[in-house]
Amino acid sequence: MSSREAERVNSAQQTLDILQEISQLLNTRLDRETLTTCVRMIESGVNPEALAAVILELRRESSALNGQDPTFVSR
Amino acid sequence: MSPLSSLESLVLSLVSPTRNDEHLKDELVLHCQDILNSHIGQNHDPDLVHLADSVKRQLLHSSPSGSAYLKFTNLLSRLLDQPVLSRKHASILFLYSLASSSASQASAPSLLPSLVPPPPSQPTTSSTTVDPPVDARCAKSRTKADILREYRTKTGRAIIPEHLLLRDTLYLLQGISGKYVRFSLQDDFENKLVFVEDSKYMISEPVKTLIHRLSEVGYLYTRVETFIREREGAPAVGMIEQSLCHHLQVQLTEYYRLIAVLESQMPAPPKHPTDESEENLSIRQEETGLTLRRLDVWINDWRLRMRMMSVCVEGARDAHGGALVNLIHSYTNNGDPFVRKFTDQLLEEVSKPFFATLHKWLFSGELYDPFNEFFVAMDPSLKHVQYTHPSSLSGGFGQPTGDGGLGSLLMDNEDASDKMENGLQLWQSKYQFQEDMLPMFVGEAFGRKILSTGKSLNFIRYSCHDSDWVATREKMSDSGGTLKYSDINGLERSIDTAYQVASGRLFEVFIDKFKLLDHLKALQNYLLLGHGDFADQLMEALGPSLTRQANTLFRHNLTATLETAIRSSNAQNDPAHVLRRLDSRMLEYTHGEIGWDVFTLEYKVDAPIDTVIDPDSMIKYLKLFSHLWQMKRIEGAMGQGWMRVAGDTRSFLRVPDLEFQWHQIRIVNAEMIHFIRQMQAYCHLEVIECSWKMLVEFLNKKEGDLDTMINAHRAYLDRMVKKVLLLSPKAGREENLLIQVRELFSIILQFREASDNFYNYCLSESVWRDKELDNERGVYTGRGTTSGELPTQLNPVKEYGAQFSEKAQALVHQLQVHPDLDCRFLAVRLSFSEYYRTKKDLGTHKP
Repeated sequence: MSSREAERVNSAQQTLDILQEISQLLNTRLDRETLTTCVRMIESGVNPEALAAVILELRRESSALNGQDPTFVSR
Repeated sequence: MSPLSSLESLVLSLVSPTRNDEHLKDELVLHCQDILNSHIGQNHDPDLVHLADSVKRQLLHSSPSGSAYLKFTNLLSRLLDQPVLSRKHASILFLYSLASSSASQASAPSLLPSLVPPPPSQPTTSSTTVDPPVDARCAKSRTKADILREYRTKTGRAIIPEHLLLRDTLYLLQGISGKYVRFSLQDDFENKLVFVEDSKYMISEPVKTLIHRLSEVGYLYTRVETFIREREGAPAVGMIEQSLCHHLQVQLTEYYRLIAVLESQMPAPPKHPTDESEENLSIRQEETGLTLRRLDVWINDWRLRMRMMSVCVEGARDAHGGALVNLIHSYTNNGDPFVRKFTDQLLEEVSKPFFATLHKWLFSGELYDPFNEFFVAMDPSLKHVQYTHPSSLSGGFGQPTGDGGLGSLLMDNEDASDKMENGLQLWQSKYQFQEDMLPMFVGEAFGRKILSTGKSLNFIRYSCHDSDWVATREKMSDSGGTLKYSDINGLERSIDTAYQVASGRLFEVFIDKFKLLDHLKALQNYLLLGHGDFADQLMEALGPSLTRQANTLFRHNLTATLETAIRSSNAQNDPAHVLRRLDSRMLEYTHGEIGWDVFTLEYKVDAPIDTVIDPDSMIKYLKLFSHLWQMKRIEGAMGQGWMRVAGDTRSFLRVPDLEFQWHQIRIVNAEMIHFIRQMQAYCHLEVIECSWKMLVEFLNKKEGDLDTMINAHRAYLDRMVKKVLLLSPKAGREENLLIQVRELFSIILQFREASDNFYNYCLSESVWRDKELDNERGVYTGRGTTSGELPTQLNPVKEYGAQFSEKAQALVHQLQVHPDLDCRFLAVRLSFSEYYRTKKDLGTHKP
């Protein structure tokens, strides 16, 4: 039982590694913790595109609070 | 971990100030929940392949080296191997959405179109509402066409309203000139359209072209219609043509109907020609009514049809009857199903009269063709024969005692020969085959069969008096269905059956009713001396009288002798109707001819047998007879001569010093007898009997029609003539051998005469010597005189003997190289022991 659990954790780790690599490849600027959270949310049925929108929104909010960053608020 | 707490952790990690500001955090979490609950992007199909493609495309776009691309492919395949995630597609999509929106905001694809201008409080999902119709409308208001129209209105020449042109065009379609467009009158052949343009109106070029196209139908219509009207008025138009006209008329009626329908579709002219109403009206027209273009579509079908009709009409001007059917038939070989169907239909109609005639001809042997359209044509000069001939025939045939006896008068003979001519002429030239009238779908072979069938029926009916049979046949055939164009196979079958039945019946009639075989046999027996006993009797009875001058012979004596010969031979057992026809007569003689030259037997045939045994064949028979008769005469003469030289010389003549001469004469005599015997055997065994066998075999087969029967008989006769008379195929020298044979015959006769003279001399010599002996014994029995001129008596004998041998040798020599095999065999027969060759070789060795 424990070995199976360990295997499961292991494969989850591997999956997360792969996803993180893709994430880096696509330049999403997500750290591992956020990515884990997001993947978990997606797995629990959250709409991925909406989640992406949330991430973007939060970043924008964050940058707005941290001072005006023109790259994100232009247009 | 609930979604809410996850969201909270996300907010906390991404927006650092919220860690201190609880209110801001709640606000953001609420906002994020709103976003999550919206329906962004939920209409996408979960298609991983498509998604992967999009990702790859973007990767290629951002890093053209391709390494990222390959890496992604690799990672993706590894991810797909992992069992943990249940929503890999969703994860990838999430990453991709994040990547694409963060990579370049400007070129972001429309996955998230509404979020870029962010009013955070109201996330809209509606698409951008542009109004292109407004733009288009704005653009339309200034098109080139409008500019042109404005220009035209400015210059004051408006385009004619279409409904006016439409009316004109409908007129044009019926070949009538309209108000604005009309056919040019001055040059009919050129058929120009003239557009009447005035200063107020003008017709644009495209419309002109359109009207041109339409008016072609009108032009064609005029031509077809003119043709029909012409034919209606003309006298003596063939039935096939009439039927063509009818079909065309039906087609034209269809056409009228179409025009009428089209006309009812034509919009009414505008009541108030103000711009506004016209505009509305034209819009309404465009939707419901008739326009020139619609007219073109409607008429399109008819254009092709009219063209074909017009072509047919053009062809029909020169063609006639069957040729016309042929012409139309030539159009059916078309790949276009429309054309084929049309022509098939046309042909079906047009060929109806043809098939009616064919039916009548094929099943009753009547030619009903008042306009000479059928491919069988009657010779007009023989038209009357059909009616007079049978009556004269029945006159001759019905009263056998009238002229049937052996002693019919010369006048009757001539009469009969007249009739004989008619018999063959009737068959051969009354109905003629006209190739150009034969429809192609029938085919030449079948055409000939049809001709032959009809001829046979006609012949059976009128010349053989068997009209009942023909009538029954006709009735039977009527139930069998009609002939028509669409059923060519059935037609061929019918033709075949009819042909077989008719020609079979004709054979039957000839052989059973008219006893053709009896007549042929009689000809062979009497004229070709097949009855040996009869020929011998006749020769014996006639021989003495035939040596006399021709002018001392009388016909009644000859016929009486003939009858005696018949009575005293097996010939008396022949049927009376055969013997009745046998007659003897003299040919035209000139001064100095003797009976042998002019005597001939004769066999009279009458209709309808004379179709087969025609006068020409009769002449050939007579020629053969005279040759064979002469041979018979020589044979008889040689037989008597042999008796004299072989028997009498030994018993009566006691002239020992002349024994050697007599031996010589016997040798020559034997040679001659051999010659004549071989000739006869050749003629009778190898030529006549063989040919006869072939003929009988043919007749027993009962195949073919009367023509083949005539041909078979002719071949039989020709074969005999050629071989008996030893004719050679070389032009100009056909009779060379015959002349030589005749010379040989005359030499034999002369030899016979000379040897008779020598015999007489020897007889008197022997008598003289007897007397001398008597005197020596002292008994006086009268003084004899020795003629003492032995050489003068002997010379001609030797001379003729030598001549004969020489000529026979020459003949054999020529026969050996004769092209005909049978004649070469005759040479073998004549020189069986190579007698003549050795003599010739000896002759060459001894100079």
